[in-house]
Amino acid sequence: MNDTVLILSIASAIVAATPILFAALGEIITNRSGVMNLGIEGMMLMGGVIGFWAGNGTGSLTMALIAGGFGGVFLALIHAVLAVTLRVDQTVSGLSLVIVGSGLSSFIGTSGEPSLLSARNAVEVTPLLPSALRDLPAVGPILFGHDIVVYIGVLAVIAATYVLNRTPQGLALRAVGEDPAAADAAGISVVKMRYIATAVGGFGAGVGGAYLTVAIVGTWQNGLTAGIGWIAVALVILAGWRPWLALLGALAFGGLNGLGFTLQLAQVNVPSDFLKMMPFIAAYLVVILVSASPNRARRLAAPAALAQPYSREDR
Amino acid sequence: MTSRLRVTPRGFSGPGVRFGVPFSALVVALLLGAIILAVAGNDPIEAYRTMFDASLNGWSSMTRTLALATPLILTGLAAAVAFQMRVYNIGGEGQLYLGAIAASYVGLALPETTPMVFMLGAMLVAGATAGALWALLAAIPKAFVNADEIITTLMLNFVALSLMNWLIFGSRSFWRDPRRPVPSGKRLPENAIMPELSGRMHIGIIIAVVAAVLLWWLLQKTSWGFQIRTIGDSPRAARYAGMSVRGKTMAVLALSGALAAIAGVSEVSGVTKGLEPVALTSNIGFTGIIIAVVARSNPLGVVPVSIFLAAITTSGSRLQSIGINVQVVLLLQGLIFLTVTAGEFFVMNKVSLTGSAIAGPADDSSSPATDVAEATA
Repeated sequence: MNDTVLILSIASAIVAATPILFAALGEIITNRSGVMNLGIEGMMLMGGVIGFWAGNGTGSLTMALIAGGFGGVFLALIHAVLAVTLRVDQTVSGLSLVIVGSGLSSFIGTSGEPSLLSARNAVEVTPLLPSALRDLPAVGPILFGHDIVVYIGVLAVIAATYVLNRTPQGLALRAVGEDPAAADAAGISVVKMRYIATAVGGFGAGVGGAYLTVAIVGTWQNGLTAGIGWIAVALVILAGWRPWLALLGALAFGGLNGLGFTLQLAQVNVPSDFLKMMPFIAAYLVVILVSASPNRARRLAAPAALAQPYSREDR
Repeated sequence: MTSRLRVTPRGFSGPGVRFGVPFSALVVALLLGAIILAVAGNDPIEAYRTMFDASLNGWSSMTRTLALATPLILTGLAAAVAFQMRVYNIGGEGQLYLGAIAASYVGLALPETTPMVFMLGAMLVAGATAGALWALLAAIPKAFVNADEIITTLMLNFVALSLMNWLIFGSRSFWRDPRRPVPSGKRLPENAIMPELSGRMHIGIIIAVVAAVLLWWLLQKTSWGFQIRTIGDSPRAARYAGMSVRGKTMAVLALSGALAAIAGVSEVSGVTKGLEPVALTSNIGFTGIIIAVVARSNPLGVVPVSIFLAAITTSGSRLQSIGINVQVVLLLQGLIFLTVTAGEFFVMNKVSLTGSAIAGPADDSSSPATDVAEATA
């Protein structure tokens, strides 16, 4: 097999991993506060369409990502109102975000003359590092050839790990997700924490959707994410709600995209549809294994108060 | 003096609240939709009138709506029966695909001379069985190790989707038509196609409505149904009363999977007439969950709610002809989903201004919200 092909498929796996990573990191923060948001797919679509629109207007990648992030925040706040304030069923509310997100993004994308569907991508994505590094054999394209967002993704993993584990805010967030009543008694505002965490999750998904649209796909299409949001849901479970493992998982899932092609070159014939199943089968098995073994559950399991609404009166 | 909102849990909500709140939520969703349409520069009144004319006004519009409502009723029932026991079957989508795969296999494999009644019967049985087995992949781990069925059923959807795509797009399978260059399913023989009643409406609608009535009877009039509802209200009490929660969990999810799969049988036999992945992946399973929520898990409520949502979908193409973005259809469905979900809060709680409100009962711990928390703990 040709080495160049292998190097290029690894490099493209890293790029493909980036939107999944942003969405999964956001969801980890949201989940750690005790809020389950199944609406990632919808938030990514909103981020995608708003990001593409902003990118077209400004030509700036930064603006596209920030606007896309707030597109995700908009939907996430709807979820927060429903799940935190109104304490409705978080599964149902999350699913409704998916439907609203795909409806609203398609509506925005096809409104206006001419619509975003026919618009050309105005955002230019350039590699961050100088060509001296990029042209190094093998490691150049794999590690140094990417745009700034890929590196921000890695920084975000470090930042999320640090904030969750080493700061008072992170401790408060986890306390709210593990035992909201105790956190409340300790003077932490459960409602405020959960709103912030849900909004951060929406921002992550929105940025992921915007990056996917302007930097990877390069056009807007209705339903552009095509299941990537659900892969992020699966990934969060697989990663046991830990940012570092989410990074590894995102790389693996990014790699699955190009793997079919690579395997074909290596004369191994695995249908791409079976590769697409992998993340979902893996998440399915992990949920069962974690539930079945009490010891591992202690290390891997979800935040204790995940998806449970908190009401002071019910303590 | 400032007045504040006061929230008091309702111990019991009467039918006025239980049906009035979702209905008001529908109205709010339509109002929000009207605002969005107006902002986008359309006349909302014209849009809604066009939608009504295209979907509910007159027999031919009505038959189109009922044809679309058929699978929605079935996936709505699938979600509803699981909700009755506070089990979440988010896997209707995947179970529907399995039903379609199994039914089309039977339809293509049995001799073309098989009488239609046997043919359709065999397809229904095969489809329902496949859907039930697929649901058991989530039900057994739920029953034995309490693996979260929301996640397992959800993940299995995508496995089923890839499987169906592989059968048509990724391989030269038994289901794929070898003569056509564009990947598509083999067309079912005439005796495997559900007869049309009027327009596009086929006998699937009768199957769906009969299923709704049977399910209502099963839940409301049999001791099995009573046990299901008791487990839903309080699994602990049910266990003390000697009910087998484990067995019921598997039975309910299997029944739920079978119902969603019958939607797949009805689509493949009555609409697509062959295994056509693109036509089958139109969120029928997910929409069923909205329907069950709006109908408050009442099987008889599922029928009108499905017809209403189908009416919104049917009218999409007509909207396009008067220059309104067809995507508004999906947007409206989402808004309905959101407002009805939010409405659940007002079913469970009474909201009033302080001063006028009577203080909540001292035994707040018996509120429905507490029961939910305990049930999921």
